[in-house]
Amino acid sequence: MIRIQTDDVDIGALITAAKTPETGAVVVFDGIVRNDGITEMELEAYEDVAVPELEKIAMAATEQFHLQHVDIVHRIGRLSVGENILIIVVSAGHRPDAYAGSRYIIEEIKKSVPVWKKELTKDGGRWVPGEHGHGSGHH
Amino acid sequence: MTVKLRFFARFRELLGTDLITNPNTGTTLLALVKEIAGTKKEGYDAIFDEHGMFREFVIVMRNGKRVELADAATVLVADGDEIAVFPPVAGG
Repeated sequence: MIRIQTDDVDIGALITAAKTPETGAVVVFDGIVRNDGITEMELEAYEDVAVPELEKIAMAATEQFHLQHVDIVHRIGRLSVGENILIIVVSAGHRPDAYAGSRYIIEEIKKSVPVWKKELTKDGGRWVPGEHGHGSGHH
Repeated sequence: MTVKLRFFARFRELLGTDLITNPNTGTTLLALVKEIAGTKKEGYDAIFDEHGMFREFVIVMRNGKRVELADAATVLVADGDEIAVFPPVAGG
């Protein structure tokens, strides 16, 4: 399941669905709104580009790390401290592939998927700066 | 012709988004974005430098594909195009 959505997701159900009889490891990454003196976080995405980009990353990770199953759910909209932002669930035969595949997916998302975050504070808000020199798509 | 212009994140806040424009044939991508952004100084200054070129961190896409900033002055927009302009991505 590759999705950009406002709703939260049942991580337990994703873990159950990720398992196959050949699965030896499931790794879950859960990115969470951290309390950096903020009230809420607002996320927006260029969905027409972000979803295909997530699918591309999932396919590349599957191939490179022999993953059996990949879920990526990136939430948008207004999220409070403690809420899930990004959930990545991967399964593999062995833990090195599961860990490496999960890590690959999050690092690629940070580089190339058009999503932006604004930290909302009592005094207004601030856009989280992206990684300069990167951006959606490839050179 | 009709071209849709989409801004995201800070650029959206400054300039709006999903703007339907009607450029003349022969309009370059750079010229179109400059014309639309030029209506609001703060938005224009966020995207363009003092020489009127895209700031180096700005990302421009045409129909979901990235356009190199150096090419924006020569690429012509076409009827039905969707042009997206946004700052570096910060998801995850």
